[in-house]
Amino acid sequence: MRLYLLCLLMSVFSAAAHAAIVQQEMRPGIPASAEYLIGQRSKPAVLLLHGFLQTRDFSTVTALARGLQDAGYTVLSPTLSLNIPYRMQSLACEAVHRHGMDDDVAEIGRWVDWLKSHGHRSIVLIGHSFGSLQLLAYLSSHPDPAVKAYVGASLIEAQIGEMSRPDLIGQLENRIQNKQRVLVTQTLSFCRKYTSTPEDLLSYVRWDQPRVLSALRQTPVRVLLIMGDADSTLGRGWLKVLQHIRIPMVVVHRGSHFLDGEHEFDLLDHTLRFLEAVPQGASR
Amino acid sequence: MKWPDAISIKQIALAFITGLLVLVSLIGGFAAYQTRAVTRSLEQHNQDAARSELSASVQHLLKQTDEQAAKLANWDETRQQLVLPEYYSYWRDQRVYESGILPSRFVRAALYTPSGSLLAPSPGKIPLPAKLPADVSRHQASSWLVDEAGVIALYQAFPVYIDERRQPLLGYGLIRLDFMPALLQQESLHFTDVASVRLTLKPGESLPASELFSRLKFSARPDPDQLRFQTILSRTLLALFVLLMATALIGFVVYNRLLVRPLRRLSQDIDAMQHGRFIPHSSRSQAMRISELENVRRSLHEYQLQLRELHGSLEHQNREFHSQARQDALTGCHNRRAYEEDWESFRNELKSSPQGAAFLLFDCDRFKTINDTYGHAKGDRVLTIIADALVMALRANDRLYRLGGDEFATFLSRTTPAQAKQIAQRCQSLLDASAFSDLGINEPVGISIGIAFCAADQLEHVDDLPKQADIAMYTAKQPGRARIALYGEDTERASQTLVASRETSALFQALATPGMVEMHYQSIHALPGRKIDYYEALARIRYHGDLILPHAFLPVVNSRRLEAEFDLAVLNQVDVDLSSGQLPPGIGLSINLSAQSISHPEVVSQLLELSRHNARHPLILEITETSLITQMVEVRTYLDLLRTVNYRIAMDDFGTGYSPLRYLVDLPVDVVKFDISLVNKLGQDNRAGQVVADFARMMSDAGYSLVAEGVETEAVLRKVESLGIAHVQGYLLSRPVPLAELAAGFANQDAGTTCAN
Repeated sequence: MRLYLLCLLMSVFSAAAHAAIVQQEMRPGIPASAEYLIGQRSKPAVLLLHGFLQTRDFSTVTALARGLQDAGYTVLSPTLSLNIPYRMQSLACEAVHRHGMDDDVAEIGRWVDWLKSHGHRSIVLIGHSFGSLQLLAYLSSHPDPAVKAYVGASLIEAQIGEMSRPDLIGQLENRIQNKQRVLVTQTLSFCRKYTSTPEDLLSYVRWDQPRVLSALRQTPVRVLLIMGDADSTLGRGWLKVLQHIRIPMVVVHRGSHFLDGEHEFDLLDHTLRFLEAVPQGASR
Repeated sequence: MKWPDAISIKQIALAFITGLLVLVSLIGGFAAYQTRAVTRSLEQHNQDAARSELSASVQHLLKQTDEQAAKLANWDETRQQLVLPEYYSYWRDQRVYESGILPSRFVRAALYTPSGSLLAPSPGKIPLPAKLPADVSRHQASSWLVDEAGVIALYQAFPVYIDERRQPLLGYGLIRLDFMPALLQQESLHFTDVASVRLTLKPGESLPASELFSRLKFSARPDPDQLRFQTILSRTLLALFVLLMATALIGFVVYNRLLVRPLRRLSQDIDAMQHGRFIPHSSRSQAMRISELENVRRSLHEYQLQLRELHGSLEHQNREFHSQARQDALTGCHNRRAYEEDWESFRNELKSSPQGAAFLLFDCDRFKTINDTYGHAKGDRVLTIIADALVMALRANDRLYRLGGDEFATFLSRTTPAQAKQIAQRCQSLLDASAFSDLGINEPVGISIGIAFCAADQLEHVDDLPKQADIAMYTAKQPGRARIALYGEDTERASQTLVASRETSALFQALATPGMVEMHYQSIHALPGRKIDYYEALARIRYHGDLILPHAFLPVVNSRRLEAEFDLAVLNQVDVDLSSGQLPPGIGLSINLSAQSISHPEVVSQLLELSRHNARHPLILEITETSLITQMVEVRTYLDLLRTVNYRIAMDDFGTGYSPLRYLVDLPVDVVKFDISLVNKLGQDNRAGQVVADFARMMSDAGYSLVAEGVETEAVLRKVESLGIAHVQGYLLSRPVPLAELAAGFANQDAGTTCAN
């Protein structure tokens, strides 16, 4: 018993000792931070990305990060800056959104680079919700070879509500073409009044379901989708479409979009199971 | 301090009520003072509470602002704007409010560069400073207040860093809010009077928030309970005071009605009784409610009734006494006291209501003689009849006064001299018709009436009326007069009359001053041969160098009844002259005396004293026959006495007076001096002259020594000689000369004799 308690304490202190907040400047004047949970060197490092406008402190992310760390994986869970210096809070929908998909992809790339600079040669990208889409966007644009696998939890396209996407895209492109810098308020994802510049908004709006499916099919790494069948945010038939293209996918029964609660374990279990199959990267 | 001798019961009541009110006022004042102290304590408590809560509110507001500043400083979107300020206005005007960091549009936010410059100008009415104050700290928030056009603005500036390590500095944020509304809108102000909170800043002054509270002016909100308590207490005190005032007033009224008024009534009754007023009053018989006072009232009332009866009796008696005091007991007409009172009133009435006035003086002729002759009882009846007649003759409103003896007077108003004379004549007519014969008086009884009149425009002389009437009366009494004389009209020689007052003064001065009566001596010659036998001493008055003769002052003597006093003065002067030795021994003197003086003890005494000169100067007393001798028996007694000391008695002015034969019969007369009027009759060859001559002869035969006086002509002298009259006197032979001249004559005579020898 005493030995067990000692081991427990050591593991707790050990975990605390292997966690750090790391930061780096994404763009001039825009630093961003990430939590770096150091795991076993023998296991691939996980870059765990939060959902739309969230931070790494989002519960689904933190729970998964702790689970992965507990499982011996090194986890880097950044908070996308969204062009806000050292962003610490989830960004409101109505805030001035000066970030686009390209910025997000660039930041992901920088964090991948950061992991590589810290000796991680096998990197698994795990995203939740819109974070899964952002990671997919990264994968669709010259991903780093160190990236070995991709887990998309509750993967969702850039939803724009009832409005016709082509019309929206047209309007945005028109604005861009006319160099109109006036902020646009549009439904995006769960935001009904997402306020952004036309360029930035357009960068997200372009990621509709077909583009997502295309990116999934073309991704160069191993893919696993973990979806909840009770995810109300998903578009009708999205799960069937995903199943139709035969992307490896786990559907968590009664799992919601956030895969929280009891489904956290489903998410973790399926993730760990997937990670076990990911090849080891070279050590530092 | 002098206390009043006595204070009224009303004053006591007033003092008591005043004292009571003062006491209540003091108690009320003390209560009010205590209430005020409590109120002040409560006010102080409220003030302290207001201070505490206001301080807390200020601190809360500052803290709230501080928290808002901190939220803004730590807000990702704030940092975003400092890095990418393209949409700063959207953040400033919309995001800060939508996010709920700033509560309302009254709170403004702005961002500044690290150098303190405003990112973008603030639109609208409230411009924010383009530059932050230089003293804004890089490391901590700082707040201050400024007065912006009457609006107190609270600014809170705060640094914005890029991360939690506070490095590097991205810029500054600024919150501006309207301080007073923000402070006062807090619902925590319960004790503070919101309207009273003031913060006054000088133009351009920047007040650090740390000094804010010390500059804040405020007052505590009145405590409703306290106000209610004060109101209740004030109303209670007021009600108490009013109640007490009303009670005091009612008490005073009751006290006044039950005690003061009855006591005053009693006091007034007693005062009235003291002043002799016993007028019955209906209220006096009303019963008093206080039994003791009722007893006093009843006793006093009964006593008053008794006194009133007594007073009535006394008044009746007084009226009787007064009437009697003003009424002559004998005649029933008014007496001298009434005369004096009425005359005074009459004079005053004349002065206030000018009118013609007359004064009538009545004097019964020869009343003394009547009295002496027929007795006092008949004399009194005569006076009564005279008074009755005069009253009947006078007008209805005229009053008759008996001044004394047989002298009556009246004064007539609204009259003329003619009316006065008419009334006087009516008086005499009625008197003449009176039946004095019924009393057994056969002699005529008449009255002499002197009238003095004063016209309405000469009332300043009204005081002279009695004197003028007196003079007129004297004139009326003169033999041969009509017995009615009006002063000024009937009095002869008015100018002399006017001088009368001067002679009166001379007379009175002479009576009081020995030596002023000067004796002149006229020789009386024996017939035949005309040798001087003796001298008659004739009185003169030397007054301021002038010599006043007897005809001027004797009327005054007679009218003033000064015969005795004047004769005493004459006797004194004769005594002086005789004692001077200037008259040779053997020279006799005759001295004039009035009949009235003979009965005067002092005169008799003086005569007895003077009789010592009889040895050297035989003395004769001349009794004036014109004077009425009323006390015949008494006079005879004295004359007899004087004859025992060798006085001879002469009847002077025989033939002009009253009852000459009776005098000769009753009195011890030695010498009879024929009046000049009789002497003049001797010069007439008529029956009167024969009568006089026969009478003189008869007198001589009877043994009387006769003296003819007033002989001024030789014819008369010869007639006198022929009749065998022993002595003669008159200007034919000599005039009266002063003693000095007479003495000088004697001296010359002696010298001539000596030379002849």
